Amino acid sequence: MLEFHRIEKSFGAIHALAGVSFEVAEGAAHALVGENGAGKSTLLKILAGLVRPDAGEIRWRGARLDVASPRDAIERGVGMVYQEMLCFPNLSVSGNIFAGRELCSRGRLLEREMRERTRELLDRLYLRIDPDAIAESLSAANRQLLQVARALAFKCQILVLDEPTTALTDAESDHLFDVLRDVKRQGTTILYVSHRLPEVFRLCDRITVLRDGAFVGTYDAPATEPSQIVRAMVGRELPPRGVDKPKGLSPQGRTPQGSTGGDKPSGLSIRGLSRPPCFRDVSIDVAAGEIVGVFGLVGSGRSELLETVFGLHQPAAGEIRIAGTPVRFRSAREAAAAGVALVPEERQRQGLMFNLDIRDNLVMPTSTIRGDVLIHREREFATAEAIRRDWRIKAASVGDAPDTMSGGNQQKVVVAKWLATSPRVLLLDEPTKGVDVGAKFEIHDMIRRQAAQGLAVLVVSSDLPEVLALADRVVVMREGRVQGELAAGEATEEAVMHLATQDQPSALALRASADEKGLSPHSPHPSPPPAA
Amino acid sequence: MKRIAGIRELSTVAILVAEVLFFAWYLWPEAGRTHPFFNLDNALLVLKYSSIYGIAAVGAAVVIISGGIDLAPGAVIALSGVVTGHLFVASGVGLGASVAAGVLVGLASGLLTSLLIVKVRLPPFIATLGMMGIARGVAFIITEGQYYDVSSRLAPGWRPLGLPADWLAPVVLLVLAVVFQILMTRFQWGRAVFSIGGNETAALFSGIAIGRIKTTVYVLGGVLAAVAGVVLVIVQGQGKADLATGYELDIIASAVVGGASLTGGRGSVAGAVLGTLIFGVLRNALPQIPGATFYDRLIVGVVVIVIVVMDQLMLRKK
Repeated sequence: MLEFHRIEKSFGAIHALAGVSFEVAEGAAHALVGENGAGKSTLLKILAGLVRPDAGEIRWRGARLDVASPRDAIERGVGMVYQEMLCFPNLSVSGNIFAGRELCSRGRLLEREMRERTRELLDRLYLRIDPDAIAESLSAANRQLLQVARALAFKCQILVLDEPTTALTDAESDHLFDVLRDVKRQGTTILYVSHRLPEVFRLCDRITVLRDGAFVGTYDAPATEPSQIVRAMVGRELPPRGVDKPKGLSPQGRTPQGSTGGDKPSGLSIRGLSRPPCFRDVSIDVAAGEIVGVFGLVGSGRSELLETVFGLHQPAAGEIRIAGTPVRFRSAREAAAAGVALVPEERQRQGLMFNLDIRDNLVMPTSTIRGDVLIHREREFATAEAIRRDWRIKAASVGDAPDTMSGGNQQKVVVAKWLATSPRVLLLDEPTKGVDVGAKFEIHDMIRRQAAQGLAVLVVSSDLPEVLALADRVVVMREGRVQGELAAGEATEEAVMHLATQDQPSALALRASADEKGLSPHSPHPSPPPAA
Repeated sequence: MKRIAGIRELSTVAILVAEVLFFAWYLWPEAGRTHPFFNLDNALLVLKYSSIYGIAAVGAAVVIISGGIDLAPGAVIALSGVVTGHLFVASGVGLGASVAAGVLVGLASGLLTSLLIVKVRLPPFIATLGMMGIARGVAFIITEGQYYDVSSRLAPGWRPLGLPADWLAPVVLLVLAVVFQILMTRFQWGRAVFSIGGNETAALFSGIAIGRIKTTVYVLGGVLAAVAGVVLVIVQGQGKADLATGYELDIIASAVVGGASLTGGRGSVAGAVLGTLIFGVLRNALPQIPGATFYDRLIVGVVVIVIVVMDQLMLRKK
């Protein structure tokens, strides 16, 4: 049994963990869920030896498990798989697995032994990859599975996974789950952290919910409804899915707004836009007041499409029109000045400046577009404070650094800083990636309200329920091309997935059966993985 | 950001005060003799020579905050000094025009550097390493090993800008430091520099004109180094090619000791100026301690490490 006993940890004035206790049965798959800022990451960091707790202890099989460093964690049988896919892109597969723990004989690397061990390990995980392949050349899914292999390579008793499916397609996730079930059957205890409840229900036996650094409860998965878990996570009732989409704003009922009259289209029009090898011949129209969703699996060229519209890349061919006028932006600055806003996919890397305060971040695009010379402190604080109230951004002060906020609130800042520029066209790339349920709901609500006021919104997401909940129309992309377009009425998960994965009928079948039940028991034997 | 910088600068002032008090106590003379360190003439001397470093360190702070590095200031100081000296002494050009030409040298080298960084996309370390060699090399080619005796051509008792000659460097530094401190904290330009240094990708996605901002940063870095060079030549009276050799590292160290982070996005102009004073006092006081001369560089090195480690410990606590 793995026991967490009254674990406490504070960072300055913030209680990340306020005396958390729970137990994980040996050999079980145990999920740890909670909104951003609930304390999951801190708990994992303690288990991985990256953070020392202020009080409390972890016990494994009755003995105290005091992890001093990540290396110590490995030696004590704790294997970690991180969300960010830590791997050495320049090393081979076996080099990655043995990085830091190379097999040596008198200082000489035993390449052949390591290759053999790697091959055995990969076979065990049903991975058809060459031990000598360079990690960089692997698909995102195989890189993630490589992390699992690395964690399992050294007598791993407790396998900890932190949001491992963030960058994976459904078929790839299926493969990962098959592997994890296998690992569990062989007696390894799994601690699984995820925002995605359907996954949690598919894989895990028990679910522990954390909220605001405190333990809320542990639930038996088969006897629990997902809605119960959501309630425990947010501490309040969320509107059911049906209400999620306001009926009054169906595309038929909505009148296009902000049009300049006649047949001149307002909003955004993309015609035959190409930028090989990322995307080819893409045509999408977004009327003012309309939300168009772009769905596609990772690698279908969606992010590159948005970045090209935003002037960060130059298209090889095609035309972009805004309110009927052809535009050709040479930089993000020009695009922003013309009323185009892009909320990028990775808020840490592309969205926020962590050395500046929240206020600076919130006003930066607006003041840049306006061509301000001086910083107007009072005015900016007033603006930022108004945004904070409007968006219910949980921050002690807008004068604090962004990393004092949880991920959901950081994302609100990124979306809000662009809406503050009063754009005409809003491009959203995975607007709620890694965001908790509450913040997700609020961001969706804000997007809808902006669209209702005449904003043309193009939203890219690999979260299919999100696309279906938000969009008036869904454009499906695959391998850089538009596969088809579905009106809100005909866009069901199955129809969209069918377009997105036309050459993967097996994946579609698996996915459909899994989603209908929400938590389908899976075929016990792993299916052969798709080629890398 | 402003509050953190304020605390950081206070701690730099505290270090400077502690340092001065230490040397005042350590070098306390026998009764009846003047204090060899703690007197007004010596303070002015420290100020005069620190200011040369300080003027260039203002530029270095801006470059470092933008996430870059500039290895060329020592060489640019020499080149601008040599050009000014050559025009003024060997070619008989007026002082004003010679000074202007010296400053233009900095502008040109800054432009070339920024071109290499922004357009050719060289890493700043490489681009400025190259510029360091080029500027120093051109200085040697111009002088052919000679030196220009600037002081002999200046009228005795000459008062630049109506000031005693010794005050020239501190006054120039004060004016530039105030201007750049305000630019960095109160102007959109300064905030853009902080943004780029903090997260260049996010700055790009926020619509900030990264190329333009970086160009201005390196051009200003070059101009400030050139101003330091011109002032040095006037104050010291000699224009020669091996002027300011090795200054670049002291200049970078000053900015870092003053709170600039080499990973970018953090630091201040005021801190960099205080940093040069910390080193200025060390350079002035250590030779007065019998036997300490040989420990000079060692102590400077230790001081850099100790102050930066203290800084990181404070930051980690936050």
